[in-house]
Amino acid sequence: MSTATTYRPATLAELRDALVDSAGERLAVAGTGSATAWGGEPVHDAVLDTTAMSGLISCNPTDLTVAVQAGMPFATLQETLAEHDQWVALDPARAGTVGGLVATADAGPVRHTFGSLRDSVIGVTVVLADATVARSGGYVIKNVAGYDLAKLFHGSLGTLGVLAEVVLRVRPRPAATATLAVPCDAATAFDLGGRLIHGSLEPVAVEWCDGTLLARFDGTSGGVEDRLRRARALAGSDATDAPADAWSVVADLVSGDDGDTVVRLGTAPDRTPELAALVAREAAAHAVDAAMTSSPFAGAHTVRLRGGSAAAHAAVVTALRTEQPAVTVCRWTDGLRAELPAWGEPPPAVAVLRAVKRAFDPDDRLGRGRFAPWF
Amino acid sequence: MVLIPGDTGSFDAHHPPRRELLDDCVHCGFCLPTCPTYAVDGEEMDSPRGRIYLIDLAQRGEIPLDRTLAGHIDSCLGCLACVPACPSGVQYDLLLAATRPQLERHVPRTRRERLVRRAIFAVFPYPARMRAAALLGVLYRRLGLRALAHRLGLVDRLPAELRAAEDLLPPVPVRSLFRRPPPIVPAVGERRLRVALLEGCAQRVLFGDVNAATARVLAAEGCEVVVPPGQRCCGALNLHAGLEDDAAARARRLIDTFETARADVVVVNVAGCGSSMKEYDRLLADDPAYAERAARFAASVRDVNELLAELEPRAPRHPVRAKVAYHDACHLANAQRIRRQPRDLLRAVPGIELTDIPDAEICCGSAGIYNLVQPRTAEELGRRKAANIEAAEPDVVATANAGCLLQVRRFLSADLPLVHPIEILDASIRGVPLERARR
Amino acid sequence: MSWSAELTEALGRANVITDPARLRTYECDGLTGYRVQPAMVVLPRSAAEVAAAVRVCARHGVPFVARGAGTGLSGGALPVADGIVISLQKLRRVVEVDPVNLRAVVEPGVTNLDISKAAAPYGLYYAPDPSSQQVCTIGGNVAENSGGAHCLKYGFTVNHVLAAEVVLADGTVTTLGGDSAQLPGYDLLGAFIGSEGTLGIVTQVTVRLLAKPAAVRTMVADFATVAGAGDAVTGIIAAGIVPAAVEMLDNLAIQAVAASTESVYTPDTVAALVVELDGPPDDVAEQFDEVQEICREHGCTKIMVAADAEQRRLIWTGRKAAFAAVGRISPDYFVQDGVVPRGRLAEVLGRIAAMADDAGIRVANVFHAGDGNLHPLVLYSEADGEHDRAERLSTEIAELCVELGGSLSGEHGIGADKACSMPRMFGEDDLATMLRLRTAFDPDGLCNPGKVFPTPRLCGERPGKYRPHPLEEAGVIERL
Repeated sequence: MSTATTYRPATLAELRDALVDSAGERLAVAGTGSATAWGGEPVHDAVLDTTAMSGLISCNPTDLTVAVQAGMPFATLQETLAEHDQWVALDPARAGTVGGLVATADAGPVRHTFGSLRDSVIGVTVVLADATVARSGGYVIKNVAGYDLAKLFHGSLGTLGVLAEVVLRVRPRPAATATLAVPCDAATAFDLGGRLIHGSLEPVAVEWCDGTLLARFDGTSGGVEDRLRRARALAGSDATDAPADAWSVVADLVSGDDGDTVVRLGTAPDRTPELAALVAREAAAHAVDAAMTSSPFAGAHTVRLRGGSAAAHAAVVTALRTEQPAVTVCRWTDGLRAELPAWGEPPPAVAVLRAVKRAFDPDDRLGRGRFAPWF
Repeated sequence: MVLIPGDTGSFDAHHPPRRELLDDCVHCGFCLPTCPTYAVDGEEMDSPRGRIYLIDLAQRGEIPLDRTLAGHIDSCLGCLACVPACPSGVQYDLLLAATRPQLERHVPRTRRERLVRRAIFAVFPYPARMRAAALLGVLYRRLGLRALAHRLGLVDRLPAELRAAEDLLPPVPVRSLFRRPPPIVPAVGERRLRVALLEGCAQRVLFGDVNAATARVLAAEGCEVVVPPGQRCCGALNLHAGLEDDAAARARRLIDTFETARADVVVVNVAGCGSSMKEYDRLLADDPAYAERAARFAASVRDVNELLAELEPRAPRHPVRAKVAYHDACHLANAQRIRRQPRDLLRAVPGIELTDIPDAEICCGSAGIYNLVQPRTAEELGRRKAANIEAAEPDVVATANAGCLLQVRRFLSADLPLVHPIEILDASIRGVPLERARR
Repeated sequence: MSWSAELTEALGRANVITDPARLRTYECDGLTGYRVQPAMVVLPRSAAEVAAAVRVCARHGVPFVARGAGTGLSGGALPVADGIVISLQKLRRVVEVDPVNLRAVVEPGVTNLDISKAAAPYGLYYAPDPSSQQVCTIGGNVAENSGGAHCLKYGFTVNHVLAAEVVLADGTVTTLGGDSAQLPGYDLLGAFIGSEGTLGIVTQVTVRLLAKPAAVRTMVADFATVAGAGDAVTGIIAAGIVPAAVEMLDNLAIQAVAASTESVYTPDTVAALVVELDGPPDDVAEQFDEVQEICREHGCTKIMVAADAEQRRLIWTGRKAAFAAVGRISPDYFVQDGVVPRGRLAEVLGRIAAMADDAGIRVANVFHAGDGNLHPLVLYSEADGEHDRAERLSTEIAELCVELGGSLSGEHGIGADKACSMPRMFGEDDLATMLRLRTAFDPDGLCNPGKVFPTPRLCGERPGKYRPHPLEEAGVIERL
């Protein structure tokens, strides 16, 4: 990898030039590098580094929109917006770029209410493998003109084109926020979370992280206090008010450390308890230390495996894939790649995925191998 | 195609559907979910929007008046649920009323249709014949013939139209077939109004009890009730089937009969009859001898619910403990826009809990003679209505139209009493249990 | 065998329409300005029958157009002359309501409102609420990515659909999306939603359900000027409040509503804002007071707070019936659907008024003020020969929105109506890139052809001439 050429454009024009100049080369697109390991390992002749494209294009607080270059670190964007008491409704664990978060379809616990970046992106500019510059969407939060290419690039892992500019809708920051913590198993967490939701307490996030249910409430200070009180009453005597940094355990688990394997997967919400049981069972059977964090009502789960051999990690992941084929490996323990295919069973629409890839990058020059063996 | 002003396209010049009424439709589709035939089949031609489109095309001369067009207009129940649903104010009622006679004039019916219609119009508007048919029906049941016919599978081999008629016959006690209200019922206490009561045809035969209850309630509320002798059919069935001339003849005769009663108000307890009597002004507008009288008559017609709601209640109400599902008869709710009054009257009875029926705006499939001439759709609608009523879990179902009472009864599986709302008021005013009041 | 015979055999004679008069009832949707009689209409009763019909079309190269309730306002369901219409109105089953997983599975012909009705016993509802919600179907909502009055807070169809079973252009049936939103791969579902029927036909939809908010408060605030109302909205947003809905009606629109239903709007006010907040009771109460305060600060002349559910219903019935109600004050009208960045609302309204004056045409305004989605209603009389002038004005308004950095359509779609305006908003490469997606799904272009994308035949384009990128003209982006 170190021998590879690196293109580091700072503007849309330079990015387009980079794709012209690199014609014939296979490219790996990289932002901060926090998701380099996701999925398959792309073969590449050069790296396209987007981190120099980190500028703010425009910030429009009254319109509730912001436009940035895709290489801007997401944290920087949130800091900028905080000056206007606004934020993009996303709390990912990774310190990635805006474009990187789109390309990885990453999200954090507030996905429970706000979904992922697909739900906040209102416009993109992309550069395709043949250096075509294309825009879709625009600068308004409501817009149905033309196809929404941003959706297509969401989760594309650098295989369709390079995100150059991203326009996002923003939301006002809540006046107050509070968190409830309840130590419990996954089944109890799912049940209690359901009662919080059906009780119209409107938690903005419900996360079951390694044996603790965390529920966050946003709103006016009076409203949040009231809901927290009612939530505590529902949750029973084990419930406590947690400080805001209680959520860092989720980010820690999702990020993992060297030597860990981290996978994420999606299921129907009510499968969460079974999945938690499966993870515990398989981890025990293969002598691996497993931890799991779930946004149960979004059906989004992350499992971290620590300790044990690569073969053991492979066995656990394989067992998870039997339950739910759509598992993405985000961090690979040493030697795991040799033991485990990058992806499990392909989704039903894999033929369409392939056709889209062919239409956008016929020479398979961007991120080749990222989705192998699917395509 | 160039539109010549005043050109009527495929229609003849006698009251064709008017261009400006057609132009009101903006094709938004807000009528679709209210249309019973669209609910059943989901086909554009059998929706209000589609029918208006077809009438529009015919008015432009782009399609002929033929079996195809007639089929889609025939399939309309005339429930008029689309009219209040229309944000643009399309007067579909007028369009339908203008189109049906044109089709009757220009599109020959099949032999089978002719036979069925002839049979219906030879019986229903004639109380004596209706009574004879009902008596036969009672005999048919009493002698076990009905059970026998069903067992032998004879009923299943009947044409659908006859099967519907066979099934619609309610189990009526012979006694009530002959029950008639006295010619004059004096007002209780000071007389507030003199009202003339329409007995109805099927109504007086099959629902004589409802007429009796109507007279009692009106009297208790200070109305002197006269039942003009010799009254005949109001012509509603003919009118709604597009047989304008027959309807007009019946209208003239009824006006003659009722004028002799010198009443302040003509009161009706059958939604279908009331709605057509309120249309007499339009029906007879071209008849110089009757136009003015028809307008006066039409203006004096009140549904019994409407009239009672206008009168400050006088008779004390005794409690009737029941959960009542009120079913809107289309000709009351949509054609006469009477929805609130019957509900208010029922709510004013202590002990009554009023409940709504899911998908209330969708017709039960009765619609005049519809359940006899379009049995397939009518049966499907009847089944849906019965299921929705049962979902509301009422103790009693109340509806202010003879046709609905017959149709809904046919499909209700549970042993659920069906009454006219006036029967509940009658029971309440008399202070007797509902079941007893109806005997 | 001919394709028509094959379709008849596959679906049964009762489920195909070939009679010319009947076919004509399918020749347009909610946009009646464009009419094309299809060669056949088929009414499949299952996903398998939809797939069978599409396979016949694919084999014979017959174009097909899916149709829901036909309420679309951009001609998205406009038939193709030598093609067929596939009506989804016989697929109206609510397959499942799953309160535990907060979702419902429905067939495409189920109306938007019927989903909420089916979910109501569980205290749940389906959030997107286009004004035609009691009529329009979820299949059409998916095709158009429908929004509604409440999408400022809750988002659009795309934010509430988890999975869709779709029939692709070659007749294969596949599933986009799945049990969870977190699935690897391109978000094909997200791209499919809003593709206006050009990427396939949806035969089953899994939607997300939300718990009904504990409290809902609705008010109508009258203003002496449209600008004052607009400033109030800016004030609300600046205060960090995200109302469930903020709608504005101008006087002409209020007159139309008053002519149509029992109106709760002040007949002679220049502008009215409908503001609705929902959520937890304490939060709502506090912010509702704040909103009223902000309205007063911006010179509102009267505030009517809905006292009960019935008053709230009347406010919304009036607002949602506003388009069709305009039929009461004008013989003919166009409904426009442009979007501008919210901050430019006052500017765009002023320019629309000036353009209307110049054209001698009345324009009523009803719009989603929270997200800048305008619905100017261009009133005209066909009989008085105003059609062409009105149509030109309507198109100019949409293109003005683009000029101000906005969009041609916020929710009604491009369809047949605005395909020719697309080059105003997107450059050649943008459109070509979108077409790559189209090709991936439907290489032969059989699926709802002639929609979304301009065709030289339709629009009389002159190819080859340099045009600056529309966003460049708008001053939003710079030339490379």
